[in-house]
Amino acid sequence: MNIFECMRVAVRGLISNKMRTMLTMLGIIIGVAVTILVVAIGEGASARVQQTVADLGTNLLTIWNGPPSMHIAPAAALAASSGTSATSSNGVPVPPQAPNRLTLQQAEFIQQNFKQTVAAVSPIIRGNVQIRMGGTNATTNLQGVETTYPFVNNASVELGSFFTQSDVDGNAKVCVVGETVVNNMTGSPNTNVIGRSIYINKQEFKILGVLTPKGTGAWGQDQDDVILCPITTAMHRILHRNLTVDFMGVRCTSVKMMPLATQQIASYLRVEHHLQPPFPQNDDFEIHSATEILQRQQSITGTMTTLLSIVAVISLVVGGIGIMNIMLVSVTERTREIGIRKAIGATPRDILLQFLIESSTISLLGGIIGIALGVTGAVILAKLGGWNVIVDPSSVVAALVVSAGVGIFFGIYPASKAAGLHPIEALRFE
Amino acid sequence: MSDVDSKQVQPMLSLREIRKTYVMGDQVVNALDGVDIDIYPGEFVAIMGPSGSGKSTLMHIIGCLDAPTSGSYLLDGIEVAEMDDYELANVRNKKIGFVFQGFNLLARTSAQQNVELPLVYGRRKDRAERAIAALEKVGLGNRLDHKPNQLSGGQQQRVAIARALASDPLIILADEPTGNLASLQSEEIMQIFQELNDEGITIVMVTHEPDIGRHCKRTVTIKDGHLLRDELVENRVMAADLLVEMRQEHDLLHTA
Ligand SMILES: Nc1ncnc2c1ncn2[C@@H]1O[C@H](COP(=O)(O)OP(=O)(O)OP(=O)(O)O)[C@@H](O)[C@H]1O
Ligand SMILES: [Mg+2]
Repeated sequence: MNIFECMRVAVRGLISNKMRTMLTMLGIIIGVAVTILVVAIGEGASARVQQTVADLGTNLLTIWNGPPSMHIAPAAALAASSGTSATSSNGVPVPPQAPNRLTLQQAEFIQQNFKQTVAAVSPIIRGNVQIRMGGTNATTNLQGVETTYPFVNNASVELGSFFTQSDVDGNAKVCVVGETVVNNMTGSPNTNVIGRSIYINKQEFKILGVLTPKGTGAWGQDQDDVILCPITTAMHRILHRNLTVDFMGVRCTSVKMMPLATQQIASYLRVEHHLQPPFPQNDDFEIHSATEILQRQQSITGTMTTLLSIVAVISLVVGGIGIMNIMLVSVTERTREIGIRKAIGATPRDILLQFLIESSTISLLGGIIGIALGVTGAVILAKLGGWNVIVDPSSVVAALVVSAGVGIFFGIYPASKAAGLHPIEALRFE
Repeated sequence: MSDVDSKQVQPMLSLREIRKTYVMGDQVVNALDGVDIDIYPGEFVAIMGPSGSGKSTLMHIIGCLDAPTSGSYLLDGIEVAEMDDYELANVRNKKIGFVFQGFNLLARTSAQQNVELPLVYGRRKDRAERAIAALEKVGLGNRLDHKPNQLSGGQQQRVAIARALASDPLIILADEPTGNLASLQSEEIMQIFQELNDEGITIVMVTHEPDIGRHCKRTVTIKDGHLLRDELVENRVMAADLLVEMRQEHDLLHTA
């Protein structure tokens, strides 16, 4: 009996027992669907982070306030809407005890004195603000930046222009807005808002330009829901936090120079902040590189993948045991049929093959349904949830192979039981 | 034993001192207790005897479905005891056609597919033609797609005979092939067997009905696992003639 004939017989048997077949497949379906979905989410997330890092450039360093033990992770900080409140790792707010914060003067010093390693520094202060344009109100993220911002952060204006050094020097009430802000204020991302007024915390600002959209960031935040204004204006007129900044971006002259730049900046800040060794334990700042963020994200993804792989393996094993159980029932139910087949010349191998093909057909069908569900889930997440998901064809192939393998592995025992039946005893079986 | 001519040729089956013992707890049943039989090509043998005398046990051993506890069984000159599972499967597939009392067809499977099954296991390419030819031979050329539950008992038994015929076996073994059938259907089955035997196929069948036994050429009677009698049939009944009579009676009954 050839394989296709066996499959036809197997499929016919499975169809005549639809409900039982479905229930048997359930474990495999769930296992495969979860695996496909998780892999798609993981791939999507790491692709997005890689894209972000590529967008930012690998020669970018960021300097953050606060001792590492008290400082919230940059990932969370970026995603967090509030840029000022410090939170400990367990979410309890900690009193602002660190007296030394990064300042504009320090940014200026780094920019001026490490010319060999540092190309430009972009200090940033930020906070949530109320905005109003015409009759429309919203809250958004205001960032006070220097004119170095576009260069350091790989940003550009799509329409209009960025503000100039004289705007910064004069605390000018001018701003550049992200596309989401335009959309929120006017109902369309394409409205020309250049030269129009926008009220930020009830103060009138003039819109100079619109930023080129960046889309969703590495942690799912909308990078276009932002308003940039001169850092001096933000400090003195809006946020009222004179001179201290939240973080700064440092564009190094090359990737090779990054370790040296990190070292120079750290020594400078330690002196400036009057810190005592040991370092880096006593540092009250953090310096990160984009690649470091990438590595961190990859290790998080790795842990997630491992955990969910365990879940998937468990559900595949449970599914496999379900298949084994149903195959044992099937062998018992069909003892007479096995007897008939043996009596007319089926070899033990023929019987073994028949039942193995049947069990792997169940699990393969389950795998196919699982893949369909997983891919559908991924598409739904992408369409409705705006998630970045990537269904890797190799994960689909792997799912097919694994589910067929589960069927074969858990089918071996029932199938060999069938193959070993004595023809007469099988025919006598009631 | 049988006719003098056939003694010159090699027996197709040769059983010597065949014993089969079933042990159930402390009870020992000697289902077969030293049976010697030779069956030659072209014979048509009825194995007879009371219930529990060991007829089925003997047939299963002849059919290579069961192994004797001891004794020698040569099939076509080869010792069956020395065969492994794969050789036995091959013998059952190619050399023997078995017809069971209870038909033993695969349910939900068409007549044609049932007949094709041994050909499938024999890996024969021409199985559709052969299956159809076999079904035509037993008069079921118009029932190819019927499932067993859409056929009468007699028809089911004829499908089973077609299945036994399909792979051109040396010998057809039938264990009470008419046991579940009414007399008219039984007669039809016996007619098919007689025709097949006339074409040269060796047939061994079990029956406990003397009337059926008289359709054969030789009867072997066993009792308590022993050979009791082995005799040639005199005044052999030809099913074809009997069927003409039976049908006439039947018609008379219905026209009266
Ligand atoms: N699997 C078995 N286990 C124990 N005893 C068995 C087994 N099969 C058969 N027997 C015994 O062997 C003896 C012969 O049985 P067998 O089936 O050959 O009889 P039979 O001649 O075919 O009878 P019948 O005409 O009723 O079919 C019986 O006494 C039966 O009880
Ligand atoms: Mg019997």
